[in-house]
Amino acid sequence: MSILAINDLKVQFPTPEGLVKAVNSVDLELEEGERLGMIGETGSGKTVLGLAVVRLLSGAEVEGNIEYRGKKLLLLDEAEMRKLRGREISVIFQSPNSLNPVLKVGDQIAESIRLVGCSNRQDAKKKAVQAMEAVGMPDAELWADRYPHQFSGGMKERAMIALGLACDPRLIIADEPTKGLDANIKAQVVELIRDVTTDKSLLFITHDLSAAAQICDRIAVMYCGEIVEVGRTEEIFANPLHPYTEGLFRSLPIMGMKAIRGASPSLIDIPSGCRFHPRCDRPCENCAKAHPPLVEAESSPGHLMRCFQHDRG
Amino acid sequence: MKAEYLMRRAFYSFLAFMVSLTLTFVLLHLMPGDYLHSILPYLAEKNPDAARMFREQFGLNRSISEQYLLYVVNVVRGNWGYSFLYGLPVLAVIEEKLRWTLVILFPSTVLSILIGMAVGAYSGWRNGSKTDLSVLNFMIFVGAVPSYWWAMLLILIFGFHLNLFPLGGYASIEALDVGVRISDVLRHAALPVTALTISSVPGTYYLMRNSTLQTTGEEYVLTARSKGLREMEILRHHALKNAMLPMVTVIALELAQMIMGSVFVETIFSWPGLGLLTFEALRVRDLPLLQGIFLMDTLMVIFANIAADLSYPLIDPRVKVGENV
Repeated sequence: MSILAINDLKVQFPTPEGLVKAVNSVDLELEEGERLGMIGETGSGKTVLGLAVVRLLSGAEVEGNIEYRGKKLLLLDEAEMRKLRGREISVIFQSPNSLNPVLKVGDQIAESIRLVGCSNRQDAKKKAVQAMEAVGMPDAELWADRYPHQFSGGMKERAMIALGLACDPRLIIADEPTKGLDANIKAQVVELIRDVTTDKSLLFITHDLSAAAQICDRIAVMYCGEIVEVGRTEEIFANPLHPYTEGLFRSLPIMGMKAIRGASPSLIDIPSGCRFHPRCDRPCENCAKAHPPLVEAESSPGHLMRCFQHDRG
Repeated sequence: MKAEYLMRRAFYSFLAFMVSLTLTFVLLHLMPGDYLHSILPYLAEKNPDAARMFREQFGLNRSISEQYLLYVVNVVRGNWGYSFLYGLPVLAVIEEKLRWTLVILFPSTVLSILIGMAVGAYSGWRNGSKTDLSVLNFMIFVGAVPSYWWAMLLILIFGFHLNLFPLGGYASIEALDVGVRISDVLRHAALPVTALTISSVPGTYYLMRNSTLQTTGEEYVLTARSKGLREMEILRHHALKNAMLPMVTVIALELAQMIMGSVFVETIFSWPGLGLLTFEALRVRDLPLLQGIFLMDTLMVIFANIAADLSYPLIDPRVKVGENV
């Protein structure tokens, strides 16, 4: 059974410069217990997609259908939605300013725990310390009484993960949790996220291919507000079908660090036809005219992509 | 580290105090007119001997630089001179009037800070909403009206037409027989306190609204929302404490300004406080008294700033007094 089903989701932000189409007709399904990596460049709409699920976007027009365990999230009233946040669906943000600078870290985690119904202050604090221990924080009791500015970047991210897991949610949305961390710390955080989410459903939003590969069962690649390729992690790595996915792999350091030419287009003025065709290495004349649909590749079932070239075989 | 910081702080405060003393001394002596000519114009002309004796008694026959040096030495020693008008030590006069000023300024300052911050926080948190915009416009209107206009309006409505409160003064005429009673003073203080509160709420409100507004886009607010907290809980537990940080200095300075009294409101209500005293002293060119009042203000502002800086670490864990100054 799918824990999260997104159908034809559109997210737009009206701005003075024009309508920013951040997410365009995205369909996505997440199975119970599945971990899905959402990969894309900055501005591809992946974070917006993640926040749209918990309805935390301000000033956005959200259309379509988001179903969480059979509940249509976009139709819930604010109070019902609030009850899902934290205890059913939690978000792990990228860290530097996501913790309140003037409150003790332990108290910020305990606050979440108390919301779930643990009314006793001391018990909540104890559970918060346990949550911090669970993410591998040494001397958790000591650190629970400290403030965010006393934490290192890696420690803050661990605290954010502890906060995200504090209420034992079913679905976790991790929004670029490894951004801005040193390589060594990043490896630890990725390992931690993999270990603590083994029995959870995870939407792992990142631009880091290797992190996604280590954690996720499936990977979805986003470009310009739409999904251009989605499939099992091994499939995507072994046999990337979309030229953008190929480009992402080629831009990895171990693959020679070749950048995709051009810059990702503005989400106000989206290219016609295939959104990637201005930057594509091998466009055909059809690519500029028609918008390719997301179809299953003939060669590998369950592997979907949005490219005319492969569609024709 | 901390002792060194306090020493340095004390030194700079002393420096600021001396600069302020010098500037007020120069400015006050640049003012045209003198005490004798404003209070007893005929004495000065008809009886030069009396005028000379007055000058000698207060040391006004000496050169300005000599007067300045004497004044500095005396102030540092704790002697702030004698008031021409009262013939009493300046500090004694100020102390007596300060009590009366605090009777109306303390409640109005505390009230305006509380109201301004509460309404400002709500308004800033709900920025752009109908409530926010109507409150904001209302506050702009209230803030644009000077305190003396509110004072006169209150006297007219509640004092004159409705006859609920006295028109001015600090006690009824019966006080001459039965002594000054607290309930009587409070009845007299009601209108001045209201006028002062109304006129100083908008200032605190703007600052608090702005300060709260800036927290609404912070990432920790998004984190708090993702926890499933209610909007008002986020405001209370997360935004307010951060929004308070820039307010500490403002609050400290407002408390310091309390002792300056309100020239306008005290004059209109004939309230015998420091504001009225300042007005009187200025009118008759009672220079030692004026100088004393200004020095007192300077001291208060200096202390308020120190108090604000020392209290920062209490509400912002990132601030450590004495480091990186």
